Amino acid sequence: MKYYFLIAFIGLGITSCKPKFEEPEMSAGEINPTRFVMVGGAHTAGYMDDALYFDGQENSLANLIAGQLEKVGGGSFYQPLVSANSVGVNLNGLSKLKLGYKTDCENVASLSPLRVAATGDLSIWSDNLYNANSHFGNYGLPGLKVSDAFTANYAAQNNYFNRMKSVVSASVMEDAMAQNPTFFSLFLGLDDVMAYAKAGGKGQTLPTALEFQTDYTAVVEELISSGAKGVLATIPDVTEMPYFTTIPYNGLALTEADAGNLDLLNNVYNPLGYFFDYGNNPFMMVDSTANDFAVRQLLPGEYLLLSLPLDSVKCHQVGVLYPFRDEFVLSLQEVNLLRSRITAYNQVITNLSNQYGLALVRTDEFIGSLTDGFVYNGVSMSAKFVSGGAYSLDGIHLNARGNAVLANQFIKAINSKYKARIPAVNATATSAILFP
Amino acid sequence: MLKLLLALSGFIFSQALFSQGFQVNFQGQKQQGMGCAGTALFQDGASLFYNPGSAGFSNENSVNVAMTGVLANVLYVDSATGEGYRTNSPIGTPFSAYGLFQSKKEARLKYGIAVYTPFGSTVQYEDGWIGRFALTRLELKAIFIQPTLSFRFNDYVSIGGGPILTTGNVNLQKDIPVQFADGSYANVELSGKAIGYGFNAGIHAKLSEQLALGLTYRSQVNMNLNNGYATFTVPSSLEPNFPSGKFTSSLPLPSVTTVGLAFTPSEKFAAVLDINHVGWKAYDTLAFDYEQNTASLADTKSARNYKDIFAFRGGISYRVMEEMDVRLGGGFGFSPVQNGYVTPETPDKNRAYYTFGWTYRFGEHFSMDVSVYYTQIKRGDRNLETNLAGTFTTKAIAPGFSLVYKW
Repeated sequence: MKYYFLIAFIGLGITSCKPKFEEPEMSAGEINPTRFVMVGGAHTAGYMDDALYFDGQENSLANLIAGQLEKVGGGSFYQPLVSANSVGVNLNGLSKLKLGYKTDCENVASLSPLRVAATGDLSIWSDNLYNANSHFGNYGLPGLKVSDAFTANYAAQNNYFNRMKSVVSASVMEDAMAQNPTFFSLFLGLDDVMAYAKAGGKGQTLPTALEFQTDYTAVVEELISSGAKGVLATIPDVTEMPYFTTIPYNGLALTEADAGNLDLLNNVYNPLGYFFDYGNNPFMMVDSTANDFAVRQLLPGEYLLLSLPLDSVKCHQVGVLYPFRDEFVLSLQEVNLLRSRITAYNQVITNLSNQYGLALVRTDEFIGSLTDGFVYNGVSMSAKFVSGGAYSLDGIHLNARGNAVLANQFIKAINSKYKARIPAVNATATSAILFP
Repeated sequence: MLKLLLALSGFIFSQALFSQGFQVNFQGQKQQGMGCAGTALFQDGASLFYNPGSAGFSNENSVNVAMTGVLANVLYVDSATGEGYRTNSPIGTPFSAYGLFQSKKEARLKYGIAVYTPFGSTVQYEDGWIGRFALTRLELKAIFIQPTLSFRFNDYVSIGGGPILTTGNVNLQKDIPVQFADGSYANVELSGKAIGYGFNAGIHAKLSEQLALGLTYRSQVNMNLNNGYATFTVPSSLEPNFPSGKFTSSLPLPSVTTVGLAFTPSEKFAAVLDINHVGWKAYDTLAFDYEQNTASLADTKSARNYKDIFAFRGGISYRVMEEMDVRLGGGFGFSPVQNGYVTPETPDKNRAYYTFGWTYRFGEHFSMDVSVYYTQIKRGDRNLETNLAGTFTTKAIAPGFSLVYKW
């Protein structure tokens, strides 16, 4: 008899041995997440690896945020998805990048970002997926500038909008507002800054603080015109991105093996007042204001772009005997202008968030935190190109995991402003960079 | 000229290892029934572990084999996502075996051999859990062998002690946050044999007919993995960054100093109380030294910063009838793991536990013991190294039994 008692006791213990999982409390707080719309540029669209493609869109900032909003009552969220097996397309019609082996001019094979196809999938630009019944929520358009948010016939100047426009004459804001958003996210202005920075400051102008204020305010006021609440995002300092930080201004490393080259460089440049030595030396660039020969060494604080012709740098004296052209360099003057404008834009964004009681995400602080790096659930993330695990292979746009961690910043801002309890995205379940 | 563009140095490889599980004192069924206490009460061969000094008060030859089944389940709830993940660990089966001998009846010198496995557990988290880069699986096996001599000075004082030889196996697996072309994650398996030495010594004093005092010291044992092997499964392009090869590491098993009291007012009733001081402070860093370092694979030093702790254990035993004893017990232990240092293999907290035990004698020589241990702990933390932030809830139940033959 006592045996049975004992066995029952043990059996009871074993079956009750698993801790019970209780679904954590979630709530939308003061927001109405029913129809969520996000307006922005490439990051919002899910552009990554230098193209718009399916996996990127699935992990777009907008889609990741929408996915979490759905857990607190958000409705279905549609994106102008490209086909899952498409090679994607970038602003110049090229395909997405992936890591592969590239043999350089010195016949050394190493891992490099390579295009997955000879050309991009141009059908992405010509298809139109607009459907009056499935409301798009992602109005992130690669290359969308603040001043173009209300531009009519916008599809005529941005192929990506062609995919989702309701009518030929549509503007981005017109179509976005037609969705009757009850909650919105706005991450605009980064593509203005990026257009300037990616061109090395050449042939591009940045909106003045006043122009930015006028255009950005118009967008915000339109978005809140029906009483929707929302979250605004500041603009990060793009010079912290690997596209600008991977090749240092003094990346010209000369060793004993380069003795002949060292003599040559000194013979050529000493008369201009530039000296080379073993170790790291600044590259040379074209600068019409520098001297009669219009060349000078790069200075600390100047940035070289990842668009540099690397083979020519390695083997053909580009950046040395043949100085870099201006479009490959952000000079001190350009960097200063860029940063002062970003600061001014962010002041506008911050002021508007205060004025209209909107949540604010400091993406500038987030991107800045990647410079030193941080650890997310055991994953080290930083702004280091490829190995940092946060940016995609273009060195500008975050990869899926980077987007997920940034999306969590948006969610945090929404939660704290609107007393919501929206759960964060599990960024370890998203991909970073795939290695061969 | 131009430095390698893809300086793959960012894959910092950090480490975590080992559990507090080996402090559960599953080394004797009678003691387990009484809250894992018994430093001041001779029970059977298992006293060679609980107090080598107390064997001097025995008057038997005995052989004792025991096994405990540890069913532990951990639920981890991530604080940011609210997602829950579980362990699906196999049942742990720590065992022990004791032999206690005397050359003649009432001899003052006793010989003993104790073999026990104070840790023999496997922790395995479910696939794809959010802490996969901290730990996916940890298997620990260690066998302690302790030859023991115990000498009774007189009817009041007995001492005993013996060296401890330890040999063990460690196998730790975790994912590395770099991905193959198909999106799956790289991983590493660290395995090796560890060897350590120490000793266990104790005094048992009978203060009166009813009251006894026990005092023991089990030394710290440094488990040294001198020949560990790290197997990295990574994309081929990263194999030069993560070369499989040897590593060394070491883990201190802390010293335990115990004061115990036993109260035996009658032949039928006994009550025991043990107070442990555990020298966990020795576990301040967990270091891994890889034979071959690369830009991605550096030697690691992870702060553990454990603190010394006290644990209180007690229990009672009652002889219901000639053939049968029942036992009840429980205990409370402070956690050595400070805030910021909780890891998936040590989701530890100050813990209370409860035990139950039962003995049946089939005659003069042969008897059987049964015990059950139960605990539930809940620990929330943000780990400073991995930023894993959430709550671990652990439920453990450990039924055990032993067979004792004495003559």
